[in-house]
Amino acid sequence: MRQLTFREAVVEALDIAMQRDPKIFLLGEDIGYYGGLFQATQGLMQKYGEDRVMDSPISESAILGAGIGSAIVGVHPIVEIMNVDFMPVCMDQLVNQAAKMRYMFGGQMKIPLVIRTTCGAGRGGAAHHAQAIHAVFMHFPGIKIVVPATPYDVKGLLFTAIEDENPVLFIEDKMMYNVKGEVPEGYYTVPFGQAVIRQKGKDVTIVATLRMVHKALTVAEEMEKEGIAIEVVDPRTLCPLDKDTIINSFKKTGKLVIVDEGNRVGNFGSEIASIIAEEAVEYIQAPILKVTAPHVPVPYSPVLEKEFYIPNEERIKKAVYRVLEFS
Amino acid sequence: MAVEVVLPALGLTVEKGTILKWLKREGDIVTKGESLFEVETEKVTTEVESPASGILKKILIPEGIEVPILTVVAVITKQGESLPDKYDMMGIQKPQKKEEPVQIHIQEASFSMSSGPGEIKALPAARWLAKEEGVSLSLIKGSGPGRSILLKDVKSFLAKEAQRGPKILITPTARKLADKKGIPFTSIQGTGISGRVVKADVLEAEARFKLAETRPVPTSVKPSGLSKYKLGQIVPMSSIRKVIAKRMAQSKFTAPHVYFFNDVNMEKLLALREDVVTDLEEKEGIRISINDFFIKAVALSLKEYPILNSMVSGEEIRILPEINVGLAVAMENGLIVPAIPKADQLGLVEIARYRSDLVERAREARLTIEETERGTFTISSLAQFDITFFTAILNPPQSGILTVGKVEERPVVRGGQVMIQRMVRQGLSVDHRIIDGAVAAQFLQSLKKKLENPYSSFFSIC
Repeated sequence: MRQLTFREAVVEALDIAMQRDPKIFLLGEDIGYYGGLFQATQGLMQKYGEDRVMDSPISESAILGAGIGSAIVGVHPIVEIMNVDFMPVCMDQLVNQAAKMRYMFGGQMKIPLVIRTTCGAGRGGAAHHAQAIHAVFMHFPGIKIVVPATPYDVKGLLFTAIEDENPVLFIEDKMMYNVKGEVPEGYYTVPFGQAVIRQKGKDVTIVATLRMVHKALTVAEEMEKEGIAIEVVDPRTLCPLDKDTIINSFKKTGKLVIVDEGNRVGNFGSEIASIIAEEAVEYIQAPILKVTAPHVPVPYSPVLEKEFYIPNEERIKKAVYRVLEFS
Repeated sequence: MAVEVVLPALGLTVEKGTILKWLKREGDIVTKGESLFEVETEKVTTEVESPASGILKKILIPEGIEVPILTVVAVITKQGESLPDKYDMMGIQKPQKKEEPVQIHIQEASFSMSSGPGEIKALPAARWLAKEEGVSLSLIKGSGPGRSILLKDVKSFLAKEAQRGPKILITPTARKLADKKGIPFTSIQGTGISGRVVKADVLEAEARFKLAETRPVPTSVKPSGLSKYKLGQIVPMSSIRKVIAKRMAQSKFTAPHVYFFNDVNMEKLLALREDVVTDLEEKEGIRISINDFFIKAVALSLKEYPILNSMVSGEEIRILPEINVGLAVAMENGLIVPAIPKADQLGLVEIARYRSDLVERAREARLTIEETERGTFTISSLAQFDITFFTAILNPPQSGILTVGKVEERPVVRGGQVMIQRMVRQGLSVDHRIIDGAVAAQFLQSLKKKLENPYSSFFSIC
């Protein structure tokens, strides 16, 4: 099958979606003429015109507010918040308005809104442009959260997000835009709430998100040579979360490591550990370990960012060895 | 390899059994699980299955002989394998036991799971399986980090157990009932066919279990050591007792204690109290007690000697920022120490209010964790009992505890004359690691001075 980069898969998905549905329009900072900070909307303004691909002022609240309003009146906005770090600027629009309106008004309105944003450290973006704060949004009912890890998934999940009648926060790992992978032509969807087992194994389960899926897979491949069989689960969407796949994998291995680039406290992995403790305690054979960013702001120093902040293969391995001490 | 056939542990209280009949003869081929012999105990007659397949090479205990459980009664060898020498001379005269001491097995068959596995470290999966199988974790050796018990440890223990003893036979109804009642069915004496555990056995075990439990706690507030226990009774520790036991041992074996005593002349203090107590009761609705004066005096003395208001933390001495005086309160089932916060800053009436509320709620077991953990120093009084003086163990992590004996009239020499005075002997235990004798003595002296001169200690005239 043909190979596309993650970025190309995003552009292609947006392009196909806009062709299929004239009600779709894009709104965001620098997404038009410039083609997006990460070129993920490249060429779309030229193709669809300024009415359907709009550069916005630098106001996240305005972008999201306009998105919510237009979604309510029947168009299909796909708005872009350049970095997930800026989401707190429009937190009220997201968590108090978009997430709750359908509920509070007794289902009288639908909000088919897609919010695309980017996350992740590794480009020297420092504390304001490199965070991975996806776990924060899990706290609020009413928001679907997508964390794609492959070009195939990003395209299929984006179509599902667009089809959804509710607000979807679609988080793209900015360090993955150049990752290549097989992507089918045309339209296809990847369902929400269906985790995928990227690698089968019986000794330890690793649940990883976004780019960490690939680091986990590298570790799994390396450790396979030592006779250690790691199962790598990629949840793909945090909400809805496919608890069953995670729990079933855990029941098999009894040992769990969660790898996630978010800060350590209140991490996505904390929720997974809690689910296991609540629903599969009798299977726990070893401490459940999280490999995460430390509980500090993303450092600007490239050395600190790379060696100390972003979870790496070495730390994942260490965690796997640690849980294996209990077998 | 030769396999030993032992007389299995057949129930909770069974210690001995008589082999009624050998169902196989020496030299017979036996298969694992096949009945080998009939055994009779005080409670039941049952068949015992062969633990292995092979040749029943030698019967060591003939029919009609009573032997303790776990005695080796026969040896099974493989085809063509000769009997190991050590069994040659073995027989009725000196029945050999398996290496494991008998007590352990009796313990295993007890209801020890019901009182919780205590300090044993076990992974949840291991704990779960052990509970399901009714195995006490205390019998299992942990092979994980920090000697924690892993799932595989429980599994291999169970596998070994399965090899050793006869399989427990239990009807599905009985099993369900035992599960529901939380009674490990491995410990139930079966009376059904081939010793099968039936529903009636479970109900009987439950009744016995209930009898053995501590009687329900009466709601009376007066603590008493009387009539709660029976001779020969085995009482599982309550959770509060476990905490007390752990803390007392920790304190006594970590902090070297040193003790000081002096006598306090209570005349002035008692006179002062008698003067004000009725008035205050009418005005404030609270009855001031001698304890309240002690609390206040201790708080003021702690302010002068903050080292007594401290704790040891690693290689640091932490002088605590607040003076929270704890009062040991005896309860039906133990002791608890709620503390009066910032007692140095409170008036006597406020202290009395706090004290009366905390003591009342302590006896109703309605204290908050905060109230029992904030103490920085403790007072323990046995004044209401006929106790002249006593020593106390520090309430960790505190560094000082004051004991108060009864008030009694004693002959006292003053100015060359013998007078009768009401006296109290107070004692101080301190953590000698950080508090020197001279400091402790000064503190006790300061306390005595305050109590003996209550007007200047407790009332500021301005």
